Amino acid sequence: MSQASDPVKSEILLVEKHVEYVKSLDKKHDEIEYWMTEHLRVSGVYWGAVAVHLLGRGDALDRDGIIAYILSCQNDDGGFGGHVGHDSHILYTMSAVQLLVMYDALDKIEAKRVVDYVAGLQDKVTGEISGDSWGEKDTRFAYISLAILSFFDAVDTIDVGGVVSYVQKSMNYDGGFGSGPGGESHAAQVFTCLAALAIAGRLDIVDRDRLSGWLAERQLKSGGLNGRPQKLEDVCYSWWVLSSLKILGRVHWVDRSRLCGFILSAQDPDAGGIADRPGDIADVYHTCFGIAGLSLAGYSDCPLVEVDPVYCMPVAVIEKAGLRGWASRLPKEWK
Amino acid sequence: MVRIVDSELDQEDLPSPLPMSEQEEWSDVVPIPQDDGRHPVCPIAYKDDYREMTDYFRAIMAAGEVSQRAFDLAGRVIDANAAHYTAWVYRKKLLLDLGLDISSELDWVSRISERHIKNYQLWHHRGALLELLLDPKGIADKTQDERMQIPAIRRELQFVGEVIDKDSKNFHAWSHRQFVVRLYGIWDQEMAYVETQINQDVRNNSAWNQRYFVLTANQPADVFVLTDDVADKEIAYVMDKIKLAPNNESPWSYIVGLLMRHAPNMLYERLLPSINALAAADEYALAVSSTPFFWSALVDIYEEQAKALAGAEQQQAEVMAFASEACESLATKYDPIRAKYWEYRKQTLKTASAC
Repeated sequence: MSQASDPVKSEILLVEKHVEYVKSLDKKHDEIEYWMTEHLRVSGVYWGAVAVHLLGRGDALDRDGIIAYILSCQNDDGGFGGHVGHDSHILYTMSAVQLLVMYDALDKIEAKRVVDYVAGLQDKVTGEISGDSWGEKDTRFAYISLAILSFFDAVDTIDVGGVVSYVQKSMNYDGGFGSGPGGESHAAQVFTCLAALAIAGRLDIVDRDRLSGWLAERQLKSGGLNGRPQKLEDVCYSWWVLSSLKILGRVHWVDRSRLCGFILSAQDPDAGGIADRPGDIADVYHTCFGIAGLSLAGYSDCPLVEVDPVYCMPVAVIEKAGLRGWASRLPKEWK
Repeated sequence: MVRIVDSELDQEDLPSPLPMSEQEEWSDVVPIPQDDGRHPVCPIAYKDDYREMTDYFRAIMAAGEVSQRAFDLAGRVIDANAAHYTAWVYRKKLLLDLGLDISSELDWVSRISERHIKNYQLWHHRGALLELLLDPKGIADKTQDERMQIPAIRRELQFVGEVIDKDSKNFHAWSHRQFVVRLYGIWDQEMAYVETQINQDVRNNSAWNQRYFVLTANQPADVFVLTDDVADKEIAYVMDKIKLAPNNESPWSYIVGLLMRHAPNMLYERLLPSINALAAADEYALAVSSTPFFWSALVDIYEEQAKALAGAEQQQAEVMAFASEACESLATKYDPIRAKYWEYRKQTLKTASAC
């Protein structure tokens, strides 16, 4: 059992169910979750779009409708809100730009406005990036700022050294990263820090073996992964942990067969969608990251589209955008 | 990493059962309904009371109204849906423009916090309020004990403490504690707090992380100096905690990580004899020698020792052989789910010893 690394055959991925589930999401107006999640609707659309793209069904959603909707969420400051009429936030600006790239419509917006918005969120003294005009700092925003700017070939418009330094200060004794200097290591923050360093071409500052070991340690007996020691497994960490290991070149350090089994067991066999863990109610966030995790783990029962571990978008899209260069900027000794 | 936050409408804070459209106070405002545009991808359908509230809120924002009622309305929108970050931004702007009492605002955040304890905006709002309420420059000449008598600091620590009592691994709460401790330089009390937390739950990794944060006073690895005395104290402390639950990742990871960063020689000079003694003691031998964390620590320690033995080839080879055996035991016996990882470690050990 310990040597197994071929994905499991016992459960299958319910491709059509998941596509139908994602397509049905904008029709559930009577459900409380629908209107309570208004503020992150843009991210919800992004999660759904990634899910269907990775399932090989990028045409499942209404492209023109999505583009028009995204454009309507842009504010005067150049950033995007989570929905029409909401203040700009770097989180939703990221989702909006990712969607426009996925639907090949980045030319519909003025690059300079978005670049200026993102560049304006950097503290000119400390190099830290805020999430909005309000000043909340987090390593998530370090990653997102570099990612957004990379789509516009404008990474140099901010102080990249300052961003890298902030990420470096957030590195912990266990090799992981927290939300800021001193913060406990958390797999999702690890992803954001590694992806930021990948874009900046500065993965050399990472303690590769120690961090990879810590990430591999996240796998529990169920096959699922947790985000921190002593926490429950959760399907979304299939993405946060595995994407990190992929960047580090160490995906094979977890038992991928058992991980695939865990993700598949969290599917809703009736309505489609994937939940955080078996028996819970499915949502679009876990559906997206469960499928992305299966793609990274090399699930082989049906052809999944390969996902880029830095951008969480199809590799083909990232290649077309000319952004696979991060892989060639890995430290020499990693190759 | 945006998560969908559980939230629900809370009726108790609503001032009147009447719809806003029938309240005298709001008769001068024309609500602005949500414009979902013509795009079928994302039409929004609200529950009626929330919809009405946000329609009025939209109108207030559109008019840029600066008033107590606008401030209260923003609060109701937040309590109905704390992840509505635009409402938080507007509430803070009104708080400042109206010159309202910051302490009362902190109390309000406390009151609604239970329903929204994992909400990013709530914690950020608290932090920003605290900085406005008590400027750290103003207390720079006070001792740590004196600082602990300041009501704003006491209230904040009590608030975070209550949150951690309910959810001992709340990521936001621990971050906020770090923010408060760093902002006001109150490190001494924090070590006492950490010990209480570890005593309550020796498996709480957040508390172990906080121990490192306090011990190093959040100084970077190249600035903080770990003296032999302190290292010995930490080793003894960790040994006591490992005895309580040998198969607990946190203390192992803490002590190996701490020494590796700040006193690598102490890994093999002091930690190694301590854990070997524990693994040989009748009472703990079985539990300690069957946990992967013990073997994993051995690999790290031997590897560090081998580096220090550069030049002494025979001794170095001996230490490498120990490390290699530990990797082997982990891959086959104690941690087979991560066999690939341990095989790699074993392989790179060989490379290192060959050099």
